[in-house]
Amino acid sequence: MLTGGLLFAQNIPSITLKNLNGKSINVQKLSKSKNIKVLAFWATWCVPCINELDAISEVYEDWQDETNMELIAISTDDSRTKKRIRPLINGKDWEYEILLDDNQDLKRALNISVLPHLLVTKNGKIVYRKTSYTPGSEDELYEIIQKYTN
Amino acid sequence: MRKIIISLNFVFFGLILNAQLLDNLSIGLESNTVWYNNDSETGDFFDTANNDSDKHIRSNSYLKIDYNFLESFTASVQIESYEPFALLNYSKSYEGTNLGTYSLNYRNSKLNITAGHFYSQFGSGLVLRNWEDRQLGINNALQGGKIVYDPVSFISLTALYGKQRVGFTTSEGEIFGFNSELDAASIFDFKNTSLEIGLSYVGRKEETTFLEPSFNELTNSLSGRVDYYQNNFYSNAEYVIKSDDAIKQGGQLSNRLVKPGNAFLFNTGYSKRGFGIDATFRRLENMNFFSERNAAGNVFNESSINYIPGLTKQHDYLLTNIFVYQAQSTVNLDTSQSGEIGGQIDLFYKIKKETFLGGKYGTKIAFNFSYWAGLDGDYTQDNPDAGILPNYEVGLLGFGKKYFSDFSIEIRKKWTPKWRSIFYFVNQSYNKKVVEGSGAMINSNIGVIESTHRLGNGKSIRLEVQMLNSDSTKHDWTGGTIEYNINSRFSVYANDIYNKGSDTNTEKTHFFNLGGSYTNGATRLGINYGRQRAGLLCVGGVCRFVAEATGLTANLTMSF
Repeated sequence: MLTGGLLFAQNIPSITLKNLNGKSINVQKLSKSKNIKVLAFWATWCVPCINELDAISEVYEDWQDETNMELIAISTDDSRTKKRIRPLINGKDWEYEILLDDNQDLKRALNISVLPHLLVTKNGKIVYRKTSYTPGSEDELYEIIQKYTN
Repeated sequence: MRKIIISLNFVFFGLILNAQLLDNLSIGLESNTVWYNNDSETGDFFDTANNDSDKHIRSNSYLKIDYNFLESFTASVQIESYEPFALLNYSKSYEGTNLGTYSLNYRNSKLNITAGHFYSQFGSGLVLRNWEDRQLGINNALQGGKIVYDPVSFISLTALYGKQRVGFTTSEGEIFGFNSELDAASIFDFKNTSLEIGLSYVGRKEETTFLEPSFNELTNSLSGRVDYYQNNFYSNAEYVIKSDDAIKQGGQLSNRLVKPGNAFLFNTGYSKRGFGIDATFRRLENMNFFSERNAAGNVFNESSINYIPGLTKQHDYLLTNIFVYQAQSTVNLDTSQSGEIGGQIDLFYKIKKETFLGGKYGTKIAFNFSYWAGLDGDYTQDNPDAGILPNYEVGLLGFGKKYFSDFSIEIRKKWTPKWRSIFYFVNQSYNKKVVEGSGAMINSNIGVIESTHRLGNGKSIRLEVQMLNSDSTKHDWTGGTIEYNINSRFSVYANDIYNKGSDTNTEKTHFFNLGGSYTNGATRLGINYGRQRAGLLCVGGVCRFVAEATGLTANLTMSF
């Protein structure tokens, strides 16, 4: 059943984004891991996105210890609000790797139209995707992460 | 038996093949439908763009399909439909159902080639940005070709040519662009340091109907940038010049007012765990740049080549978005305007857990201040009879008339695992005449309190109370929101804002909205009924005016 799910899973496109240190990172290579990588599309001006990432950051250590998962927060902020990313993530004390999709190339390639939008990936494929955030829905996300963790 | 095995094999490989085909396919569907009603309080439905009062039900729909094949190729199409007419406040150029964008892309480790439509951005976008925002009705993709070549890991070169998308057609003007990015830090193998240098050129060639034009058909813009980062400190600067070009005055392109433009952007900041500070300064002078000269000043932001967002905090609440600043880069001699100068400062701080102010869970504070003014200088009106040419002369760092200021503080507090609050305060000064074309300076104070309670099993309730008091008798608002999340899939909400002031457009009217949404994975359906306030709709720092409207809205988004 699990293989069935993976068999029909979409590939992550080969798009390279920069992290906050200016290093180029290919998102396809990054997601080609046997561990779960969650790609979280967000923006500094998106309140539900911040709420979701805040909520996950409170349980992030436990999630990582139990499943070896990693969350990569992909900022879609354009040049207007991009400068706010670094102080915001530090001010919030988030530990996520941040990638910059400032002209929305990856967001467009994955046909994402509303934020927040999360992709749960494994071996370079999307095994689950979801949009919008309501308080407590991070628990359901964790159940999905556990389901796909070997 | 063998036959069965062969056919089973066939089915099995067919499935794999099929799966691989599907694995490389990405589809996005978005549909926004509105049923506009006649409103006994605010008037009957009327669409000024299409001069229509009959077509009450309209739908804007977008279907985008991306397909990856042979490892390195991606084909992409976007079909758009605006039926029977586009939603209110969209440009008339979006009409009917048609192919919006299409492209074929080839990519390997050194080359990235696109033919067809593409979206490109050089630096911060001050010389070039192609983007799409469906809510704003912006899609200024270039149709042509683009080549990105990375000869070595630390150098990236881009060359592009195209005509800009305007509705379902393209601009008259042609765009040429070159960009180079150099990652200097990786040459010297610096640790914890990044130094990037960028140089860009964008040219726009458009024929003119002037018999003796006092400007060239080709307008050039150049951008130089430096981006530096070391440990917790970062800094970047960009300088842009734009060559002489005719400026539109009084709705007409003038062969007598021909001036160059320039922009300077500087940003610096410092951040470490639990603390961040960021400061930006920007000066713009005559920086409008369109693929057609006559498109300058169009209300739909069509044909814009560069991206000039308002650098202010984007607020999240209904009453904090009554007065929204829009960047001023236009030359208008009547109002002594030629650009803007100003900046903003952001500060983020987390008060540690188990301290007096931090409490059990810590307290998060965000502070923002922004100030924008016109360019100080001498403005001369056109006077052909006296032999005087229109002109302006502005100083390098002179602050002129105040356009906008905004001070805000946000405090996020978690009280218990199930209960958290946000306190938000804004003090604003808004020069209505400059931003909207008429009116006076309005000073206002806005307060918001938001609380979220988790009720268990995915249920939660969120409440917002908002107040806006101003020194103008026209604006005195109150508002509120209640949202109930039944589970992670179903959610309902209601909100209302009401103006006790005497503003003719909004006085004694409830701008209420009721709605709900259903989310399942990456599919979301939202239904809303309510009355929309006339004003600026802003997304990503770019705004456009929207008219008052009442109706039932359904938004559907799906991604596969």
